[in-house]
Amino acid sequence: MTMLPSRRAFLRSSTALVALPTLTSLRGGTAVAAAAAATPPKRLVFLGFGWGVTEESWYPDIKTPGGDYVLPPGLAPLARHKREFSIVQNLWHKYSNEGHEGSTMWLTGANRYAQPGQNFHNSISADQVAATQFGNHTRFASIQLNGSESSGGSGHGPGLSLAWDVRGKPIGGFNTPVEAFHRMFSPDTTPLAQRQALLAEERSVLDTVLENARDLERRLGKTDNAKLQEYFEGIRDIEVRLAKEEKWLDVPRPKAPLAEPKPGLEGREEIRLMYDLLVAALQTDSTRVITYRQPVSTLLTSLDIRVFPHDMSHYHTTRAEKLDCSQKRDLAQSELLAGLLDRLKATQEADGSALFDHTTLVYGSNLRTGHELTNCPTLIAGRGAGIRLGENIVMPKNTPLNNCWLTLLKGSGVEVESHGDSTGVLEELYA
Amino acid sequence: MRRLLATVLGLATIPAAAATVERKVSIDPRHVGLLKQHCFKCHDATTQEGTVRLDDLPVEIADVRTAERWQKVLGVLNAGEMPPQDEPQPEPGAKADFLDALATTMVKARKSLSDQGGLITMRRLNRREYSNTLRELLGVEINVAELPADTSTTAFDTVGANLFMSGNQFEQYRALGRDALDEAFDRRLATGRELKLHYEAETILRELVKNHADAQDAEERARRWIAAVEAAAARPENAAVVERLKKAAKNDAEFRRSWREIAGAPPPEDYGFRTVEENSDKANRAFTYSTDYFAPFRSYYFSQPHLDTGSYLTSSDPTANVSATVHNWVPGRYVVRVRVAATPDAPPHRRFIEFGTRPRAGRALSTHEVTGTFDAPQVIEIPLTLTRKHTEAQDRTVFIREKGTNDHYEQTRIFFGDGKAKNGIGPPVTIWVDWLEVERLTDDGPLAAGLAALGSLPLDDGVKGRDGKVVPHSIAAADLRTSLERFCVEAFRGTQPSTGFVDRLVARYDTRRKAGDGHAAALKESLALVLAAPSFLYLSEPDPAEGHRRLTGSELATRLAYFLWGSPPDAALRELGASGAILRPEVLAAETDRLLDDPRADGFVKPFLHQWLALDRLDFFEFNRRLYPRFDASTKMAARNEVYETFRHLLRGNGSLADLLAADYVVVNAVLADYYGFDGVHGDEFRKVMLPAGSPRGGLIGMAAILAMGSNGETTSPVERGAWVLRTLLHDPPPPAPANVPQIARLAGRTLTTRERLELHQDAPQCASCHRKIDPIGFGLENFDAVGQWRTEDSYQAKNAEGKPDPTQKKLTWKVDPAGSLHGGPAFADYAGLKAVIAARPDDFARGFAEAVIEYALGRPCGFSDEPLVDALVAGGRGERFAVRSFIQTLVASDAFHVK
Repeated sequence: MTMLPSRRAFLRSSTALVALPTLTSLRGGTAVAAAAAATPPKRLVFLGFGWGVTEESWYPDIKTPGGDYVLPPGLAPLARHKREFSIVQNLWHKYSNEGHEGSTMWLTGANRYAQPGQNFHNSISADQVAATQFGNHTRFASIQLNGSESSGGSGHGPGLSLAWDVRGKPIGGFNTPVEAFHRMFSPDTTPLAQRQALLAEERSVLDTVLENARDLERRLGKTDNAKLQEYFEGIRDIEVRLAKEEKWLDVPRPKAPLAEPKPGLEGREEIRLMYDLLVAALQTDSTRVITYRQPVSTLLTSLDIRVFPHDMSHYHTTRAEKLDCSQKRDLAQSELLAGLLDRLKATQEADGSALFDHTTLVYGSNLRTGHELTNCPTLIAGRGAGIRLGENIVMPKNTPLNNCWLTLLKGSGVEVESHGDSTGVLEELYA
Repeated sequence: MRRLLATVLGLATIPAAAATVERKVSIDPRHVGLLKQHCFKCHDATTQEGTVRLDDLPVEIADVRTAERWQKVLGVLNAGEMPPQDEPQPEPGAKADFLDALATTMVKARKSLSDQGGLITMRRLNRREYSNTLRELLGVEINVAELPADTSTTAFDTVGANLFMSGNQFEQYRALGRDALDEAFDRRLATGRELKLHYEAETILRELVKNHADAQDAEERARRWIAAVEAAAARPENAAVVERLKKAAKNDAEFRRSWREIAGAPPPEDYGFRTVEENSDKANRAFTYSTDYFAPFRSYYFSQPHLDTGSYLTSSDPTANVSATVHNWVPGRYVVRVRVAATPDAPPHRRFIEFGTRPRAGRALSTHEVTGTFDAPQVIEIPLTLTRKHTEAQDRTVFIREKGTNDHYEQTRIFFGDGKAKNGIGPPVTIWVDWLEVERLTDDGPLAAGLAALGSLPLDDGVKGRDGKVVPHSIAAADLRTSLERFCVEAFRGTQPSTGFVDRLVARYDTRRKAGDGHAAALKESLALVLAAPSFLYLSEPDPAEGHRRLTGSELATRLAYFLWGSPPDAALRELGASGAILRPEVLAAETDRLLDDPRADGFVKPFLHQWLALDRLDFFEFNRRLYPRFDASTKMAARNEVYETFRHLLRGNGSLADLLAADYVVVNAVLADYYGFDGVHGDEFRKVMLPAGSPRGGLIGMAAILAMGSNGETTSPVERGAWVLRTLLHDPPPPAPANVPQIARLAGRTLTTRERLELHQDAPQCASCHRKIDPIGFGLENFDAVGQWRTEDSYQAKNAEGKPDPTQKKLTWKVDPAGSLHGGPAFADYAGLKAVIAARPDDFARGFAEAVIEYALGRPCGFSDEPLVDALVAGGRGERFAVRSFIQTLVASDAFHVK
């Protein structure tokens, strides 16, 4: 068979940006796991919600920076964690112009018009920067969770999850708790030899469609070829995943630390379950990088609120039911987050420390309220990146949000010099 | 037609989008004055405060960097950050004008900077085209909901640059391809299989009727028992016992439970209550049968005629709605027949049934008017497809219910409660069902092209022998190869696969056979790869030279079919493509007409209108069922279809686009005619109906769907409506809502009319710059409520998040005042006046339509380089009274449509 060398060449081709693990690391699963037990690894979690928050009751007073601030009503359910999270104020993405998109550029800060000849452009998201370095150690390089809701009322903007790959293309995720559970924990009962054979077959399948792709490629000009490259890149992603599956072939999936979720749950219960799954994924070291694009419209429905989410975020003119709704949303989201922090603190690592000590969790949105894109709501918890906790950190007005992402990435041990339009790390954030 | 053809031929010289057409995007120098006056002091060459310099800002926005600098100016002005508060501020009117000009110019600049000079990128089939293509190839429709929808708010789903591909998606294509092949093979193998289900509607009633009679009898017996117990209790010697028992008992029923302690009280068993349980409980319960909430309705129901041969549809109790489950189903096409009649007293709006599957939670799939009577019931026929995926019995359970009664449990409750409030009984029954039938069609229609391509290759594993064992087919290698190759040609829309590719397909088949798969499974595995290959998934017009070249006949045929059908060319069109005949203008024009006349033109009408008019907003929110009971799911469905059907009507008769601005007719069916209050329109098909004098309908802005979209399901949104009219009808789209404009809360918490509240937009120039254009149009449409019904009054009541009225705030009611004027004129006194103002601008509307249809058809943004084409379309249209079909003919005949 001449397939293997050609495949390697394919994976090494100029645009392949994902390094393949070496053969030793392919087989070194157990040794790696043992080493990991000594020092728990760093993790990064990003929770994003469309439509922002209620500005007058969610932010601590900007005039009382530091640890001695009064917890605002919108964060009241987080009171028991007050010393273990910080609010960072005055962060923004200078290129964001879309008043209805809370998530598309949240982790990227890209200028959608940066490429002449294109009316949409995005760049790699902060989580994926971490995933390229943390991802080699785990079954999933990163996990994207995604709330189920119609695009119209989501407030997220374009995208399939919070994550965007190195080419600025959207990355899909697990859209329901049931799907996430099965992908992470369903044991594979097929015998090893058979699974190896299946992997080999999968590769021959990919070779077949690649044959057709190359037939086409030969006849295309530059622009069309750029489009076809997406197909090649898609296939390459599967190749990389197969290589990864091969690496993990003899490592059984972890036993699920929670029961299989019931299907069909939406809104508050769905978020709660996704949070449980998120903790389970970190606890079993299935991945070290997680994003969750949380649903808002179904959250409102599950709270028996009937206000259309977009109208909710424009409560300023009428207040009344829209403001009421906006504040109830804040409370519900804060309660859910408080529960998640409880679990991160309660979950023990192999060395007896808590998951919370090695995780950095960001909770926020590119939108503040209405069409406001300044002072993006940003809450940071967890000790994974050495961030000062328990404080109302007020940065100078219009500080790049990408500086914050860079600070968290570097703090978590990711080797990176800049992210998007970052101008440097925020030293003020480090403890 | 002769004249049309002449027009088309005359326009064949329209230049393709070309680099020769350049349009500079510049800020009007008039506005730079404002910048000079207020900004240069701190931001010129010498000062450069905050490292911002504006005096060298070019008025022409020729590159992304300049665009970013102007974007920043727009940003700080919108945010109110500049000029600083202690500096002189621009006059509000001048600032609004400046912001208006700058925001609009920025939109143009972005468009100009992203203009690709007419370049059409190869594109992936979008989700609906993919689904349609599978349907044409394999004859089955499968659920493709798991694929990304490919729709966005900024571009049509045909624009190739936005259609991405990923590893996940590749795997979905493979899985969906397998699904479609499984379905197609099974359907084909089941050709001729008969299946029929007949259900008599009275079946469910026999039991209910008997139960009702028994319950009435029991109540009578209970009444007699209670009278006897009370008579005993009234005896003087029982007074002390009775007093003690009554004190201890919570109610009369509990008191009677102690009948044994009352001397002379008879046992309930004497009155026929003989069970092994406590029979006084049974008697007590039987006693309340006729005072139960639903009892009067039940009595009323059982007193209706024709219960021996049928039953009536009801909203809730008794659950007599008609449903039936198809067991042991075989995938295929079915027909559902239902024999129904309306009662003589049924009001017009209660003469509709809904059909669907999953009776508990299912949405109605279709709505049908009942015109039959008891004397002459009517049989309604409804198509249904059952697939392999319908494994749950619920999915194979069909239902018939009355329209507007079972969309949601809340609606059911409201419907019954309102009826009971009126007459003390409940809503009168109006629809009687005799029987329901489901029958499988043995003829599955002509063989789909992809299956036909497989030729004599069997679709199953072998022939079942007498002993029940399957004797495998022997498949000749040459046959397999030929079939796979022919399937590729079909799937690749006429393009021959390479030998290498077919080799691999054959190898894939062989591998699966060796691994133990039967012939059918191995074949499907191989074919599924064809359906995941780029030549199937991408519409490509290969051109290694890069640059504009003319399409081949086959390419033109494919482009035409995906434009007008959203699906591949059929055999006739492919033939005209392959022979090159399609390149002849008269052949192309004739084919364009043929495609538009074909039912598959739905694959153009619906997706195009849905996206052009942004109809997705209709599904963004639930409509308040308590406030708007008449705007139920069936009505909403009909309202949406009115938009499609009106356009289809124009397309059919080559009517004028201007009819979408104002018309003296509507295109409606019985459901919508009833909703609009027109008499004498019966039947489910949409047809042209002349408007009664004074009707506000006619044209898009008179349509319930368009008006309902301009609401939030509860109250109207003049801003949404005004922006929609500017964007869609007047070709003057407001720039996107600017970010970071300070919110104005001056009037928050006050009880105000809509107009008073929106006056806020005039407070700040940042808001006024757009809202002075938007709001007056919205106010002019305020005579329509949130579901598009005419009103003369409106009201406001503050509420909490659950929708309950705030008791501290009183309700405000006011008379709607629609008068106003467009920004810069003209003025209008009322809705009719506004409509006349809009209808007087067919050129603007036609321009917007032309740009939309160009983008949709060519799969790329309509840029400045397309202006000659837009001009030609509008000019050509104007000559033809803006006849819809001539726009399409002109576009198809243009160079742009013939060039890659």
